[in-house]
Amino acid sequence: MVSEEILAFPDEPRSELERTIEELVERAQRVLATQGRLRSLLRASRAVVQQLDIETVLERIVEAAVELVDAEYGALGVIAPDGHLERFIHIGMPESEVRLMAHLPEGHGLLGAVVEEGRPIRLDRIEGDPRSAGFPAHHPHMDGFLGVPVRVRDQVFGNLYLTNPRRGAFTQEDEELVTSLAATAGIAIENARLYDESRRRQRWSAALAEVTAALLSEDAEESVDSLGVVADRVAALVDASLVCLVTPLEDGAELLRVGVARGEGAEQVLGRVFEPHGTIVGQAWELGRAVASETGSPADLDWVPALGPVVGVPLTGFGQRLGVLALARPVGAPRFSDADLDMASEFASQASVAIELARARADSSQLQLVEDRSRIARDLHDRVIQRLFAAGLTLQGIAGTLRAPAQERVLEQVDAIDTAISEIRTAVFALTTRGPARASLRHRVLDVVSELGEALPSPPRVTFSGPVDLLVRDGLAEDVVAVVRESLSNVARHARAQHCEVDVAVDDAVVVTITDDGVGAHGSTRSSGTANLAVRARERGGTYEIGTGASGRGTRVRWSAPLPPAAGGGT
Amino acid sequence: MTRVFLVDDHEVVRRGIAGIIDAEPDLEVVGEAATVRQTLPRVHATRPDVVVLDVRLPDGNGVDLCRAIRSELPEVQCLMLTAHDDDQASYGAVLAGAAGYVLKDIRGQSLLESIRRVARGEKLLRQGVSAQVVADLSAPSGAPAPDLTLRERQVLELIAEGLTNRQIGERLDLAEKTVKNYVSGLLAKLGMERRTQAAVYGASADRRP
Ligand SMILES: Nc1ncnc2c1ncn2[C@@H]1O[C@H](COP(=O)(O)OP(=O)(O)OP(=O)(O)O)[C@@H](O)[C@H]1O
Ligand SMILES: [Mg+2]
Repeated sequence: MVSEEILAFPDEPRSELERTIEELVERAQRVLATQGRLRSLLRASRAVVQQLDIETVLERIVEAAVELVDAEYGALGVIAPDGHLERFIHIGMPESEVRLMAHLPEGHGLLGAVVEEGRPIRLDRIEGDPRSAGFPAHHPHMDGFLGVPVRVRDQVFGNLYLTNPRRGAFTQEDEELVTSLAATAGIAIENARLYDESRRRQRWSAALAEVTAALLSEDAEESVDSLGVVADRVAALVDASLVCLVTPLEDGAELLRVGVARGEGAEQVLGRVFEPHGTIVGQAWELGRAVASETGSPADLDWVPALGPVVGVPLTGFGQRLGVLALARPVGAPRFSDADLDMASEFASQASVAIELARARADSSQLQLVEDRSRIARDLHDRVIQRLFAAGLTLQGIAGTLRAPAQERVLEQVDAIDTAISEIRTAVFALTTRGPARASLRHRVLDVVSELGEALPSPPRVTFSGPVDLLVRDGLAEDVVAVVRESLSNVARHARAQHCEVDVAVDDAVVVTITDDGVGAHGSTRSSGTANLAVRARERGGTYEIGTGASGRGTRVRWSAPLPPAAGGGT
Repeated sequence: MTRVFLVDDHEVVRRGIAGIIDAEPDLEVVGEAATVRQTLPRVHATRPDVVVLDVRLPDGNGVDLCRAIRSELPEVQCLMLTAHDDDQASYGAVLAGAAGYVLKDIRGQSLLESIRRVARGEKLLRQGVSAQVVADLSAPSGAPAPDLTLRERQVLELIAEGLTNRQIGERLDLAEKTVKNYVSGLLAKLGMERRTQAAVYGASADRRP
């Protein structure tokens, strides 16, 4: 025993030392290896992050993962919202072999297990694992397995699958490295998506600005084909070969009609009338939401020419169904993606606003022809102002998301809407109220305008702001009427103007502004008319100016006087 | 942070206005309603600082609604948002006991500034406007008079002073419900029993000398 102990004694430290050295060497090697691998992880991550195009990003992720752990096969399965494998990007498998297989993996078995468990799965042998569902025929033999989820903003985007490690088996370290890569991949995917989204938005914004401008165009001819403009732009944005705008044949009718058609076979479908039931368009119309089909036609099944994937997107404005936007691709083309559907829906809802706006405009001009004045006024008030206001708010919201030139164009439209609202308010007022002889100031101003307006080439534009009738009374009201009368008669007699505007605004003071685009009143000597207005201003502690218009043309008259302190003291 | 509640029957309008308000760091939309019926319980639940309400609502008028809010929750300020013109809106705001009104136009208006001022307790209606409204409605010179009773005239004057229905009841020693009836009768006589847009016309134009 003792001798053995003695004999053993010198051995012990030596072997301990040896072991320690061995360990140290091993650890050093591991550190070196790990460092090398960390470096390649870094390199791999960088390669992935540098990409902005989503397709390239996905391919790079798989390549990087395969290289990192030296696997024979690698794949990235993208998971659809319903949990199924939507896409399968793979490397290592020759195309010839892929073609022999009945189908690519569908996310059953082991691949599905990674989806379900949401954490890495590492196996030395696939065969024998209870979660494996076996391989499809002609699938290459696979042994070691490593599956790691890829998350984008806490949501599982897909999984990285690696098989057949060339170094025998996947290690804990492999798992950690691929998990790190997956984290980077998630960020890269998100970046790419954001980039994609911003590019999409930009294209979409530009298209929308164009459509809005066309719809709002004062030029009647340009706005007539506004729906055609909508169709054209959508076709380009979502890559459709045929775009139709389908509207109800007449109010309350059961039939739909193709009102606008653009693209392949457009001539053949234009004007076609059909029953909505059993069609994609009909479904979109009835359900009020976007409906997509794999195949089939927007209308009926024996549609000519034959169509591939189709979507129907409803156009609605103010709870009213306006029609359906139908988009089609040729037979065999890829189906519309969710992103396409989103874009078409978003576009449709914005186009609806513009269509509503165009309608409101048409209404307001058409209504002027109708007899029943109070009904017109109510319509203008109830529908037109509300619509214009709502549309304007929406456009302003859109403007906030746009860049420079498009944003300005949309904001110009918003300004135009404000002007329209203010004019309609005056029209409503003029229509609803035909008061007694001693009418309110607004009535008296409108009366003067219509009296003198006949001498002018076009009816002057009249706007009021502030509670003019409530606050401008008695002598001050007389003065305002005198200013409008004299200034308008000057425009009629001296200006040779095309257009003229009258504005009466009240705040702490009443300000009357009359502008025209005529020859201007340069250096003309003041005569009795204008002198009288200056006196009226002075007597009230106000001001009177006559000068050149803001655009450098025509004449601008501005008369102002403070309100009497006891306004409203009971007259 | 100023808490804002929106009442308008158009979703597009609510969405648009909410977008503008929520973009401001010191303002937030805490609730919305599309009808008179939805409004009171939701305002009770969310306790906003300012209610922005349309005068014209599908199931009633904003004037009554505004008075109901002010009577139950006097600390809540109301701002009328209207498609009417300034004169009509002034009448409406005075009768409703609102702190002010904002016209429905997009860029010209100062909706945000108005909300802030109203939240600070300012009254946006110009001095003299209330008195002028009372004068016009109770003593029209020449135009067909609405024939107000003494009580109705008293109620109208207290409305113009900005008192809530409850406060008017205390002042005149009447039950709040009775005041409410007087207010309804008054509004009816002024042609406001129907939807307000027709109504306020009555006030501003037809009754006008
Ligand atoms: N809108 C205008 N455009 C061009 N010229 C103008 C305009 N308004 C005034 N003038 C010029 O200013 C001059 C002075 O105008 P004012 O109203 O004082 O006199 P009048 O119109 O000539 O005569 P009266 O008003 O006494 O009948 C005019 O004669 C005219 O030359
Ligand atoms: Mg003159």
